[in-house]
Amino acid sequence: MKKLFVLMILCFVFVMFTGVGPVMAQTKAPYKIGGIFPLTGYLSWLGEYKKKGSELKVELINKAGGVNGRPLELVVYDDQSSPETGSRIAQRLVSKDGAIAMIGTASVPISGAVASVGNRYKIPTIIGSGYEVDPKKDYYVFNSAHKTDFAVERPFQYFKDKGITKVALLMPIGPLGELGGGLARKYAPKYGITIVGEERFDVKAPDITAQLAKLRTLGPQAVFSFCTGEPAALVARNMAQLSMNIPVLVSHGNANPGFLKLVSNVNIPIIVPAGRAAAPESIPDSDPCKKVILDFNKAHQQKFGEPANYYSAEMVDAVDIIAAALKVAPSAEGEKLRDAIEKTKGLVGMNGIYNFSPTDHHGTVLQDMMVLTVKDGKWQVLLK
Amino acid sequence: MKLSKQFWWILPLVFIAIYPVTLAGGSPYWSGLLIFVGIYVILAVGLDLLMGYTGQISVGHAAYFAIGAYTSGVLTAKYGFSPLGAMVIGMALTGAVAWALGRPVLALKEYYLAMATLAFNEIVVTLIIGLEWLTGGASGLRDIPPFSIFGLVLSNHMHYYYFVWAVVIIVITSSLAVVRSAFGRTLLAIHSDEIAARAFGVDTAKYKTRIFVLASVFASMAGSLFTHYMGFLAPDDFGVLTSINILVMLFLGGIGTIYGPILGAFFMKLLPELTYQIHDYELLLNGLILIVVLVFMPKGLFGIFTGIWEKMFARADK
Amino acid sequence: MTDFSHIVQFFFSGLTTGSMYALIAVSLVIVYKVSLLICFAQGEFFVIGALTMVTLVSKGLPMPLAFVLSILISTVLGALVQRVLIKPIQNASIGNLIVMTIAISLALRGSALLIWGKESHILKPFSSGAPIPVLGATLQPQVLWIIGITIIVLFMIWIFFEKTMLGIAMRACAENRLGASLMGISTNKAALLAWAWGSGIGALAGMAVAPLLFMQYGSGVMPMVKGFIAVSIGGLSSIVGSVVAGFLLGTVEAYTIGLISSKFSDTIVFSLLMVVLIFKPSGLFGKG
Repeated sequence: MKKLFVLMILCFVFVMFTGVGPVMAQTKAPYKIGGIFPLTGYLSWLGEYKKKGSELKVELINKAGGVNGRPLELVVYDDQSSPETGSRIAQRLVSKDGAIAMIGTASVPISGAVASVGNRYKIPTIIGSGYEVDPKKDYYVFNSAHKTDFAVERPFQYFKDKGITKVALLMPIGPLGELGGGLARKYAPKYGITIVGEERFDVKAPDITAQLAKLRTLGPQAVFSFCTGEPAALVARNMAQLSMNIPVLVSHGNANPGFLKLVSNVNIPIIVPAGRAAAPESIPDSDPCKKVILDFNKAHQQKFGEPANYYSAEMVDAVDIIAAALKVAPSAEGEKLRDAIEKTKGLVGMNGIYNFSPTDHHGTVLQDMMVLTVKDGKWQVLLK
Repeated sequence: MKLSKQFWWILPLVFIAIYPVTLAGGSPYWSGLLIFVGIYVILAVGLDLLMGYTGQISVGHAAYFAIGAYTSGVLTAKYGFSPLGAMVIGMALTGAVAWALGRPVLALKEYYLAMATLAFNEIVVTLIIGLEWLTGGASGLRDIPPFSIFGLVLSNHMHYYYFVWAVVIIVITSSLAVVRSAFGRTLLAIHSDEIAARAFGVDTAKYKTRIFVLASVFASMAGSLFTHYMGFLAPDDFGVLTSINILVMLFLGGIGTIYGPILGAFFMKLLPELTYQIHDYELLLNGLILIVVLVFMPKGLFGIFTGIWEKMFARADK
Repeated sequence: MTDFSHIVQFFFSGLTTGSMYALIAVSLVIVYKVSLLICFAQGEFFVIGALTMVTLVSKGLPMPLAFVLSILISTVLGALVQRVLIKPIQNASIGNLIVMTIAISLALRGSALLIWGKESHILKPFSSGAPIPVLGATLQPQVLWIIGITIIVLFMIWIFFEKTMLGIAMRACAENRLGASLMGISTNKAALLAWAWGSGIGALAGMAVAPLLFMQYGSGVMPMVKGFIAVSIGGLSSIVGSVVAGFLLGTVEAYTIGLISSKFSDTIVFSLLMVVLIFKPSGLFGKG
């Protein structure tokens, strides 16, 4: 028995070191695009949406004949919600799998780790998170997610329209909290809002009533808590427990069906910024994005039994951007492809119309974001 | 026969030396993988000195990894220090912290010692997150330059590979030297019966603190190497989960052997290469593999190798 | 709204989280007292108990029945794990045993991921009812359930370990393994029962706490760490001590958040833990 295991271990070691071999980028057959998604770990619930969306989009493009007569191949890996793993996978994609571009990552630190690899190996990378891309330093990195600034400015506009001037900040400890807190203070003066106080909380904490009770003494008219998923639902629930019947603004990451389930029995007004993809029926027919969204939703519904959502939309657009750039780029090689992506103008995606430039690697504008609220288990538009 | 028993280590050394150009085929990915392995070898070997030889349980080794990593990162990215200088400062800082903690914490026993080390790990991580103006907080620290020695920049993956493994080999050889010295024998004595050692007049606290400082300094070096390779730092990679991973490497490989943890580090960092495609099943599989090793190979992977070795040489010497 | 309502709310917040920590701490101490093993898999029983109940309730079972069944299933699971995975290596070093519990926790968490997926699940509170208002602050009724269950568990433990033959025999095993087996007490049976108790109470904690949170496959890690902290403060040898420590931990956390800093509350709590460990190594209530 022991000998058998010894043999197994030796074989494993052997395979490990002979299974390696130089695999450089293939220039025949499919265009390989790397997909780095959190499929396990604390971000796993949204990693699934992104994976499904991108896989379906690649499938649809291939069905329609591919790009330049060649199919796209999406190589998906799990970053386990960890920046170190993300970095390793990114390196595997660019040097072993021969990816010509990468998409994915769902959190700011993981995006940072992967962006670092993309820049180093000169492979265009389209991320989808709150990571702010500085085109000078992140020359090869683009972001198909809406700029987080939009997720603060538009709801602040709504607050201004409704006469809400005193806002309390309840920020999670972590990158989202840092992002949200900073942006809230940056834009508050522009919309006539005063930040009456700020508290932080642990996203894994079972109870946030202590912080809320403290904030309540400052007389806020609304609470801004830039967190996603369970913590956001817990904030709302705890506010209801304390009878704090004022609106709570959460992150745009909550624009997904799972969140509706989490807050199904909470009666506090919950405000969620979102892209058009979250509530396509409310878009006027004259908007070119509407058709793109509805067509994709139909295909998504057929394959997965549910429509696409705001998260899938980000990655669908990422694939689209790469496909469009491949059509006009002189070659799929790193710098040429990057240049083609940067020249993208007027690309109608699910999240808006993308216009990149040497100073803007995000591509979308403020008006691409709506403000929604939860009503009877469904989304209702507050501000278009 | 005797010759090959004495110099068996030449083989793995040669392998490490020629790996990047031969088997890895010049690919940055495979060199990169072994760079990560090398960094974790340093971490595991350091922990083995502390846990395997001296018997002090530490569930927070990643704290020192973090201090070294962030010192290097912050000083080079924000204040333009030279990477070598920053690494040395990191080592000094970590050593000082370990020295200060040594006496009070190492006086604790087993479970309580484990909890104290865990608590310190958490303190370091929460401070990194809390002091965002300095460390970049939870969003991470960006734009960390590659390592350079007196102006020679090691941005090529192969060059960095050789540098990292040079450090790894220094760590391994010095650890082996410590273990085989009188100092090392005292550590083992403390491990098996601390009270008896004290009865013999040994200042056990001093010995424990010294080895603790050494292990922490090694971890700090590993942290600096990690920082300049990633180019980016986030507190996520330095939590208790990472400490537990290092601990598992120790047991998988064979605790208290120096070579065991080396094997453990290789195994744990290379295993994902086989399990990449199965995402959702990976967690379960990791647990099952670990269970199998623990039940059938209680002395770890290294125990298996020594077993075969003995059998081979026992037969040959007849 | 009186001026002090938020101070009272801090207390209730502490009570809420503390009740959770206390119950988990108890399950950790039971396993330790009888088998001298720190079980790192406790968090997974917490989750499995809660998620099993969620599944049973969603299939239409009435809550009380789902409750009892979930406890039974988790208890059996715990016993199974002990028999199949712990017993074969029971004579290994303590380090190996602890790493085995880590391996078990990975395997259980991995299984939970496959069975229940990645989304969060909701469990309804045991009694419907609005939050209870006291002095301007409010407390969720579910917290009273948790406290009530903790008291019942403590009572059951006391009866079992002090009054029944089996319980006394198990205590004997913990104190002196060789002596106990010489007296004809089955140490194997004792270890098995210890795990069964531990996993049962762990699952119970999960079920009682689930209505306050959202449960998913990875939700067990944080409560377990907090449980460990509570046990370290209270001392491994004292069951009642761990309960008191759990509530103390929750309260100190809440007041630190409320009165000092919500940003650095974890840093402060962990520093306090280190101070307690250094100056009172066997815990506040432990015997030296």
